[in-house]
Amino acid sequence: MNVYKNKITRFLTTSLILVVLLCICVFSFLALHMGQVSTQTINQVGTLYMSNMSQQLSMHFSTTISLRLDQLSAMVTTTPPDSVLSYDEMCQALSYQAHVRNFEYLALYSPDGNLEMLYGDQLTVTDPPPFLESLNNGEKKVAISTNSAGDKVILLGVSTTYPMADGTPCTALVAGLPVSYISETLSLEENDDEVYSFIIRRDGSFIIRNANAYRNSYFERVRMLYSDVGGKNPETYLTELQQAMDAREDYSSECIIDGDRRHIYLTALPYSEWYLLTTMPYSTMNSIVSGLSRQWGYSALLGGAVLLAALLLVFSQYFKLTRRQLEELDHAWRNADAATKAKSEFLSNMSHDIRTPMNAIVGMTAIATANIDDKDQVQNCLKKITLSSKHLLGLINDVLDMSKIESGKMTLSMDQISLREVMESIVSIVQPQVRIKNQNFQVSIHDISTENVYCDSVRLNQVLLNLLSNAIKFTPDGGSITMALYEDASPKGEDYVRIHLSVTDNGIGMTPEFQAKIFESFAREDNARVHRTEGTGLGMTITKYIVDAMEGTIEVGSELGKGTQFRVTLDLEKAEAAEPEMILPDWNMLVVDDDQLLCESAVASLKSIGIQADWCQNGESAIQKILRRREEHNPYHIILLDWKLPGIDGIETARRIRNTLKSEVPILLISAYDWSEIEEEARAAGINGFISKPLFKSTLYHSLREYAGQDTAAPAEPVQPTDELSGCRVLLAEDNELNWEIARELLQSVGLELDWAENGQLCVEMFQKSAPGYYDAILMDIRMPVMTGYEATRAIRALDRPDAGLPIIAMTADAFAEDVKKSLDAGMNAHIAKPIDLREVILLLKRHLSK
Amino acid sequence: MTLKECYDALGGSYDDVMGRLRSEGLVQKFVLKFPSDPSFQLLEDSLAAENWPEAFRGAHTLKGVCQNLSFTALYRSSAALCEALRDGAAPDPALAVQVAADYRRTADAIGVYGSQLPK
Repeated sequence: MNVYKNKITRFLTTSLILVVLLCICVFSFLALHMGQVSTQTINQVGTLYMSNMSQQLSMHFSTTISLRLDQLSAMVTTTPPDSVLSYDEMCQALSYQAHVRNFEYLALYSPDGNLEMLYGDQLTVTDPPPFLESLNNGEKKVAISTNSAGDKVILLGVSTTYPMADGTPCTALVAGLPVSYISETLSLEENDDEVYSFIIRRDGSFIIRNANAYRNSYFERVRMLYSDVGGKNPETYLTELQQAMDAREDYSSECIIDGDRRHIYLTALPYSEWYLLTTMPYSTMNSIVSGLSRQWGYSALLGGAVLLAALLLVFSQYFKLTRRQLEELDHAWRNADAATKAKSEFLSNMSHDIRTPMNAIVGMTAIATANIDDKDQVQNCLKKITLSSKHLLGLINDVLDMSKIESGKMTLSMDQISLREVMESIVSIVQPQVRIKNQNFQVSIHDISTENVYCDSVRLNQVLLNLLSNAIKFTPDGGSITMALYEDASPKGEDYVRIHLSVTDNGIGMTPEFQAKIFESFAREDNARVHRTEGTGLGMTITKYIVDAMEGTIEVGSELGKGTQFRVTLDLEKAEAAEPEMILPDWNMLVVDDDQLLCESAVASLKSIGIQADWCQNGESAIQKILRRREEHNPYHIILLDWKLPGIDGIETARRIRNTLKSEVPILLISAYDWSEIEEEARAAGINGFISKPLFKSTLYHSLREYAGQDTAAPAEPVQPTDELSGCRVLLAEDNELNWEIARELLQSVGLELDWAENGQLCVEMFQKSAPGYYDAILMDIRMPVMTGYEATRAIRALDRPDAGLPIIAMTADAFAEDVKKSLDAGMNAHIAKPIDLREVILLLKRHLSK
Repeated sequence: MTLKECYDALGGSYDDVMGRLRSEGLVQKFVLKFPSDPSFQLLEDSLAAENWPEAFRGAHTLKGVCQNLSFTALYRSSAALCEALRDGAAPDPALAVQVAADYRRTADAIGVYGSQLPK
């Protein structure tokens, strides 16, 4: 992994460096190249500019000189040579005209080269031969001369034939102008330092020079000052220059004077043997063009830098990305590795776990086979085999579930379920385990607004079972476990309800480390405390997966040695209100439980199904309440008694209600536990039935419904004649004929045979006369003429007959406790208050006849 | 007049009696027999003779019959008189007057009901 990482890092670094180098090279080349190109450009621009300027200067020179020459020619035309009468007059006329035209000198030039001054200082032509030759040939010409003071004077010559002083004709009329005239006219002097021009002769001597050039010859100046001329030494340059002069061609080059690069341009001037030499320093143009090229260079460098920066950024991002990918890869690889390890560890554990029950099964089978005739032994073996098989099956189911989850094949089948049924079934499933470990198991349910929801009941059961069996498993004997359920508004909307389920125990708890990975696959806390407990370690993973699939959450809170709480929150869709309307007769009921919350919630639930209920928290006050109600002639119809009560427990309370109060009111025992163990005792104490916690509204409704229809107008099914009572013969002592008829009608309808005794006396006589066993029971009115029911009962009980102890049940319009007591004291078995209630009579007769 | 209307007239609970006896025919049969029941006569005679124990028995029986037939109004007054007579002392005459009034009302309602039945 690291090698791979280093490789990539090296590759990236190398390529980055290479790209940076490439960038630097390319941009440096560009910058250099542009420098060169700009130098060339400066040369080209310089040449173009200089040639233009020189041409202009030359043209200007030519125009000026032409003008002057034309003036001179005009003088000749004005004073034609053949019209000259006298030399003096001619001189006068010419001098006058020359003065008018601002010529400073005027002379006649002899064909042999002598200047005969008409006015002005005597002048000496500096290089007469070309001048003279041209003039002799009749051309116009310009030349340089010096006056007596040594100043240079420009000479303009026009061929003509004026007579000279000696009478010989001259070859030309020559006028002189100071050099300054030319330099001023051509603005040579006015040029600043940047651009300046010389006019030189072929031998390099200056006709016009500027102040800087103090030497007499340009050539001398070149030799002295010019260090390098266009890559050539000054001598080569001079040779080239002279060659160009000879050919009268334009010539341009560059030179360095005092370290300053300059451009030089040479052009020939007309009417003369002169040359215009213009010099322009590069600095001007250079500063512009090189500024441009610097700009260019900077731009190129900046562009390069920006590109490089961008490149670096991209590289660094890419580098980071690669690193992260690598890290993720690394992480995934580690995870996969850990998962593989966990799986193989799990496999080895599982193999061990599976082998243990398997060994038991094999071993027990062998023992059973060896002792096939010993029934007890075989039974014992089979029991152990069953246990081990169940354990094995549990393990395999977990593994199958897990593989379903891992392959993504586990789906939920949503169906309408009743939370009540789910809770009831869970409670009944875990009860045996709870009882074996003698743990205190509480179910707390409150705020249930919706009982029916859409959920996968099998999976929900699995979740609860898992949590509960873990709680039971990891809680020591005698510990306590609480399962709670309540509802809440769901954030998913009106159609949903949020249910909170929690399972809390005070067991061994978990370490924080283990809590962090409890929902991971194949995790099982690995220490001595839990090695004794069996399991695949997949339970919580499966639980978590199911809760996730239901889009719920599961949380765990635990402290080592203190206990654990699992909280599951689910948002479930409310089911259609398909539940039948649950309404029971407006009974009075009494709920007895030490848990106030349970009492209040039960009373509220009862009220919602139409029952008025009181509640109290112990057996003694329950008895008080029952007594008070009876005195108010407003007795309770049904009593709900918790089994476990402070002081006298539920069974004892029921016993007292039956025995002391002689009340036959139906009593139901509330229990969160399996009541099979206490059922016998409870029934004997007079408990009519059982109702299991949690007390949902529907739990109450379904449990109480069977008691409806006794004394209400509710649609009750007709009482079926019961085989048990049919044919039983009952003697009924009743002084009132109407009451007798009513009783006979009712009791005959269930198959009883009735005889009527009009008073106590007759009753005793009829009983005495009957064969022993003829009557199965006596229903005895109390208030009768001749002999009361009490007296008659005592008389019958006093008879020496085998059936003198037959059941005698009092039937009276009085329902006071003392009446009941008096009846029992007189030897009667039970007491029924009028009006005659068929069900009650049947119930009592059945009970007493079966004894 | 239906049997239920008769019950309403005499201040009884038709639903209650039907809940126990279940058959309207049966209830009708017993209701029609009520005027010939001797308990009220016994009560009247005993009160007139100031024979309090017999009067108690009469009131008690009347109470029992009324319970069986769900004649609630007469049951209440007869039960009250019955309790007053239980100790064997002279009762408050007002109680007896109330019982007589309720009895009349009951007997009259049954009389009207019975007279309009097909013979």
